[in-house]
Amino acid sequence: MGLSRLPMEMAQQSALHEAMNRLWAQYLPQIEERVATLEAAGRSLMDGTLTAEQSERASAAAHNLAGVLGTFGLAEGTTLAREAEAFYCIGPPIEPTVNARMVEVAVRLRALIATRK
Amino acid sequence: MARRILIIDDEDDIREVAAMSLETVAGWEVMVANSGAQGLARAATYKPDAILLDVMMPGMDGPTTFRELRKNPATAKIPVLFLTAKVQATDRRRFADLGIEAVLVKPFDPMTLSIQIAGALGWA
Repeated sequence: MGLSRLPMEMAQQSALHEAMNRLWAQYLPQIEERVATLEAAGRSLMDGTLTAEQSERASAAAHNLAGVLGTFGLAEGTTLAREAEAFYCIGPPIEPTVNARMVEVAVRLRALIATRK
Repeated sequence: MARRILIIDDEDDIREVAAMSLETVAGWEVMVANSGAQGLARAATYKPDAILLDVMMPGMDGPTTFRELRKNPATAKIPVLFLTAKVQATDRRRFADLGIEAVLVKPFDPMTLSIQIAGALGWA
């Protein structure tokens, strides 16, 4: 019984893997757009022009990325996005080093999504 | 036995991955809704075995949608599970106080999502 289930589970895994790759390709532009929102927020943080509205958009983008990246196997992406969400949901900047960290997070997220084919 | 699940989530990528996962891995029938309001209408007509409900949605959020589901006799008894990226203990306590069946966390593993749901609901 255990043996007869094995091919079925392998077929399921293969079908799932294929479907996940298709969905990744389909939603990649949307994911990239959310990373772009974080990149823009990071730039605004550094030049001191981040608005409350922009911060809210960045928080929403980070929230989505936190949920979706790990689901597509990018666990580090979820960790980074959660860090950004926690930062932007509080609001305006605290100190330069923290602001620089948000720029780094966006850069890392951009690099990370490029690694998934 | 093919279960019938309604997924309510405003994020189309998450919604579609969850639906695909439940259909592909478990062979369940899945219907989706992209807002709390649409979810209420679909729950009443579709009568799913369970509802997977996002917490943070624009307009009617998850907790409000859940309360509305409970007010309608047609949907009051349908088990509801929250699917959320909010994982803090205070949130979990608040959700548990509402009377939901379980809280599932985003990100989720598409290979085991159906197992998590079945486990939470005591489905064999």
